[in-house]
Amino acid sequence: MANITCKKVSAATKDLLDCKNPLWQTEKELIETAATPLANQPSPYIKGVYSEDKIGAVKKLWMKSVHNGESIFFYFEWESPQANMKIQDINVFADGVALLMPLKEIDKTPITEMGTKDFPTTSWYWRPDFDDKPKNQVAHGLSTSLYTEKSSIAASSKWENGKWHVVMGRTLKANKPGEETVDLAPGGKIGIGFAVWEGSNGERGGVKAFSKEWRDLVIEA
Amino acid sequence: MAVEEKVLTDREKELAKTFEATKDMLRKSDHQVGMVMDLNKCIGCQLCSMACKTLWTSFEGREYMWWNKVNTMPGKGSPKDWEKMGGGYKVLFEGKVMEPVQGKHPTRKEFGDLWKFNWNEVVNSKAGDVHLQAKNQEDDSVPDWSMNWDEDQGAGTYPNSFYFYLPRICNHCSYPACVDACPRNAIYKRETDGAVVIDQDRCKGYRFCLEACPYKVIYFNFVTDKSMKCIFCYPRLEQNVANACARQCTARVRWVGFVDKPESIIYKLVKVWKVALPLHSEFGTNPNVFYIPPLAPSRLDDSGKIDPTKPRIPRDYLRYLFGPEVDKSLEVMQTELDKVRKGGKSELMDILIAREWKKMFDIFDKDPAIMERKPAKAGIYTRPGIKE
Ligand code: SF4
Ligand code: SF4
Repeated sequence: MANITCKKVSAATKDLLDCKNPLWQTEKELIETAATPLANQPSPYIKGVYSEDKIGAVKKLWMKSVHNGESIFFYFEWESPQANMKIQDINVFADGVALLMPLKEIDKTPITEMGTKDFPTTSWYWRPDFDDKPKNQVAHGLSTSLYTEKSSIAASSKWENGKWHVVMGRTLKANKPGEETVDLAPGGKIGIGFAVWEGSNGERGGVKAFSKEWRDLVIEA
Repeated sequence: MAVEEKVLTDREKELAKTFEATKDMLRKSDHQVGMVMDLNKCIGCQLCSMACKTLWTSFEGREYMWWNKVNTMPGKGSPKDWEKMGGGYKVLFEGKVMEPVQGKHPTRKEFGDLWKFNWNEVVNSKAGDVHLQAKNQEDDSVPDWSMNWDEDQGAGTYPNSFYFYLPRICNHCSYPACVDACPRNAIYKRETDGAVVIDQDRCKGYRFCLEACPYKVIYFNFVTDKSMKCIFCYPRLEQNVANACARQCTARVRWVGFVDKPESIIYKLVKVWKVALPLHSEFGTNPNVFYIPPLAPSRLDDSGKIDPTKPRIPRDYLRYLFGPEVDKSLEVMQTELDKVRKGGKSELMDILIAREWKKMFDIFDKDPAIMERKPAKAGIYTRPGIKE
């Protein structure tokens, strides 16, 4: 799979965190996403009554990443027929997007299982009802992802004409590298994966669309 | 349905095994507590519901929840029409193979939202100008359902109309659909007593459990973004104090105790006398809450005389609720009742009358007033089967 390049730009963090910044409309990367396999569902209920061809309503995700030497930003855009903003009722689910990175060696970290006990992953999880404060998560394999106590990820988002526009950003330096987050250094490279949830399709948790393979994110020096 | 045969990879087979083993562990318990409720005695006073509410569900997003509720039967219950919402299992081959059944999420209004009242308006206006009105918290709409909304409506026509009360809590099932449903392994049976609880640190509010529980007794907390349910008052059980709903019951309706210990009254009513039955056992989850079915009076015939050949509550309706075993249960109770009426003795009737209140609670007969009330200890408990 082709690398994704995170270009260095000279712009203020505040401007890059704006999902309406015209920069985000310049060439983007297409990420193809697919239903999470039922075989990976730890819930016999989900395995028994859900069907793989109805999971993963979002098939295409466009993304772009840049950094300004201090912070790194990820922009996402995808089609969603309606904005599922918050959990107003028990049968209502919010939309969402996330990126996933290995905390250790990429070739020992299965993306389809969100890592393993010894090779965990970290993810940035955005949902409209998180008030543009995405959660940082750590997972040690399927069914184990937990929000970390603190998250230094910021975001801005808007839904317009059937499309979500979301940008998430964080300082390149991590607050707890290795444990909960990763240091992202200019000149470096890290594996990256993605997931999208379409709330109106009842998607939440492991019922989602995801990128089946790691891509390499190359961070320009 | 996801049954198209797919060739599984070795890793997928390995995962399937691990998942199964984990669920087996989460379902396992060394002992099982349970409750028997006598529907002949319940007067629908809702003291049990209030005891539970004041103890567990009065704040932080729990205000609209009723972990204990009392419905009028026949009725739509709460959530409205829950019996038709699916979930649970289809039991194939004599209870051996269980296939999960797709369930539906109840809505907040089907449970009955929290009501806001216009107290200020009433107090600050001239007498008679404004009347007290309730509005749903969610969207200010006028409530059209709530817990026990169809109170005392019942069925049948005068003089043969009838109704009875059905108090409901989580059944702390032996094969809980909620445990199976949770993709995060956040729901488990406690090892010591088999109470089914939701780990609030692991729950992320995905609500698969609300879909899968056929009794629809799980609630979603909109404030904390987590699912919550009856915890069988386990912090009280740990100190040998019976559940708040059971102690508060004004009519001595509820027994608490071990389902698996022959000396317990629960065991006697369920396994020896076989008069206490689970509700909708066809849902396949093996409940540990059991009911003594109502032995209602007979019908009156056209001339107004008692017709002892016809029960007031149609037997088919009771079979629908409690299965075919209800016939035997009612027969046994009638026989024992007749014995006592003729001046004889009956162990069963002695149990059901419950002269000695404290005896209803097995070993959980300690007075909560003398219970240790230390602030809860902070601590992390790792249930075997949950990997870090
Ligand atoms: S009644 Fe529902 S919530 Fe309670 S244990 Fe059974 S399946 Fe789980
Ligand atoms: S307190 Fe007892 S009598 Fe009153 S409603 Fe509850 S179970 Fe019935």
